[in-house]
Amino acid sequence: MKKLAILLACATALALPVTASAQDAQGTIKKDAYRFVVVPKVVHPWFDKVNEGAQAAAAAIKAQTGSSVEVIYSAPQSADVVQQNQIIDSALATQPDGLALDLLDPSGNRASLEEAQNQNIPLVIFDSIPPEGMAIPYIGSDFCEQAKIAARRLVEVLGGEGEVAIMQGVPTAPNHSIRAECHRQIFAEHPGIKVVAEGIDNDSIETAQQQAAAIMQSNPNLKGWVASDAAGPIGIGQAIVEAGKQGKVTLVGLDNLPEMLDMIRDGVADSSSASQPELQGYWSVMLLWAQATGAKVPGYLDTGNAFLTKENVGK
Amino acid sequence: MQTNSLSLLTRSPLAGVFVALAVIFTLSALISPYFLTPYNLSVIARGLAFVGLITIAQSMLMVLGELDLSLGVIGGLCGVISGILMVRLGLEPYSAMFLAILLGAFLGLLNGLLVTVLRLHSLVLTIGTAGIFGGANLVLTRGVAITGIPKNLHYLGRGDFLGMPVPFVIMLVALAVATFVMLKTPFGRYMYAIGNNQAGARMLGIKVDKVRLLVFGVAGAIAALAGVLMVARLGTAQPSIGETWVLAPIAASVIGGVATTGGIGSPIGAIFGAGIIAIIENIIVLFGVSPYWQGIVSGAIVVLAISFDAISRRYLRRDA
Repeated sequence: MKKLAILLACATALALPVTASAQDAQGTIKKDAYRFVVVPKVVHPWFDKVNEGAQAAAAAIKAQTGSSVEVIYSAPQSADVVQQNQIIDSALATQPDGLALDLLDPSGNRASLEEAQNQNIPLVIFDSIPPEGMAIPYIGSDFCEQAKIAARRLVEVLGGEGEVAIMQGVPTAPNHSIRAECHRQIFAEHPGIKVVAEGIDNDSIETAQQQAAAIMQSNPNLKGWVASDAAGPIGIGQAIVEAGKQGKVTLVGLDNLPEMLDMIRDGVADSSSASQPELQGYWSVMLLWAQATGAKVPGYLDTGNAFLTKENVGK
Repeated sequence: MQTNSLSLLTRSPLAGVFVALAVIFTLSALISPYFLTPYNLSVIARGLAFVGLITIAQSMLMVLGELDLSLGVIGGLCGVISGILMVRLGLEPYSAMFLAILLGAFLGLLNGLLVTVLRLHSLVLTIGTAGIFGGANLVLTRGVAITGIPKNLHYLGRGDFLGMPVPFVIMLVALAVATFVMLKTPFGRYMYAIGNNQAGARMLGIKVDKVRLLVFGVAGAIAALAGVLMVARLGTAQPSIGETWVLAPIAASVIGGVATTGGIGSPIGAIFGAGIIAIIENIIVLFGVSPYWQGIVSGAIVVLAISFDAISRRYLRRDA
């Protein structure tokens, strides 16, 4: 009996360091099932691509690990921070293994994000930046660089001269406001370029079309457009076609929605500086899963930009 | 005694909507394990508080036979004004809130004045004034939120009192006051009399326009209260506050038995209706309903709730 006790004590002593190191090791916590929630800014085709990427990541994790992964996509019906917070708060009540969010307004979303952190629910922000002072991993392309690529292209096509307009998306959304500001910076570097108008489309194609039509009506010498969100250039393109200004007004778009690609193919738009929503969705889920396994994740992950023209957009 | 209680319940105009609310609540609790958690109930209560305040205001006007489509926009504009007063002008936060609520009362009175003096239809008039107030909001903010709301105000939007979210407690107080005034005071009886038959109320000597004016003013003040509480909740004055507070309060009031033609219903029924809508919005997320199906699902539940209300009322009355 005494020998057995000594043997057990030795076995326990040997096992302890192993157990402790297994608990400490990053990314070694395993669950049979994960449930992640993705909350975009609004119901929108761009975010459908994010969702496609998120679902692809869920399938990849399942294929590699055997764990079941459910990604629930829950979008506000309008770009309203109150509605978005209500969805986030309700999603937190289901105690998900992680929450991926595109913020409508970092200050307005802050209370809900703090609640998630209080509940120790892993967070990832995509297509946006975290509120000031909050350490949350975020994913996206360099929004400023994406806008600068578009603005420089417009300046180049116009030969450095002419009246231009900027379409803002949701003014409170950080990615949209960063892009609008970076458009302005590039135009300010070229004395021949004059920004004569700015519209606000609130991420709505219909609003963008109405704003663009009104701006072109009141600025008959307008030569070019850039936008700050994915809906903007589609609405602008429709307004250009309706006003019969195709070939007279140059549009350099943003992102890679099917309508945007069609407009490049049809010559309504010159080109587009595109972020990659599928990658943002894919890596959002991957980073959430990594956090759920106890792994440390990078503070920022850049999914890059692509420049699309008639030559490389395909048929 | 038991028969009397049952008879009282079945005769109550609130019976149908209460049963509909209870059925939806019970089904949600049975289907989702997360529904009855204290956190989730506080999420529902907090969400209900803001729409609930507008619903109380709208139901008071509907009892009069009026509709104010600018209430949500008044809430948004007054929220933004409170933010400007606090952040840009450095006014003490509670004084700023008070002034914003006064402004709400003034804007409500303005609507009431135009309706009573010019004999305009409130529905049509307030479509116009909603445009003006919403436009003023955009002019003041240029679509950008006002940040830096003092942190001592956050308690009003984010804090708890007696285990309940503070905005929900404020909404309950507003509901109690509105219900008392409407059901237990001569002023309340005048409101129902005007809603039932405006010409008849005039003949009885009721100062119809004065009552209507006052209710428009109070409704504006309640809407402004919802707006400033939302500013306290978000910690920023968002120009989009109130955009979704237009149709839901009217739908909630109708679900809760308030007639759009006036004279019938009460704020309590309207809040039951708002409760149904708040639960639907919550369970849609709990159940992970696709955003493309949400409109169909929530619309179908509302139709079912109204139908259930109508059928159960008829059935219960026949039984009684």
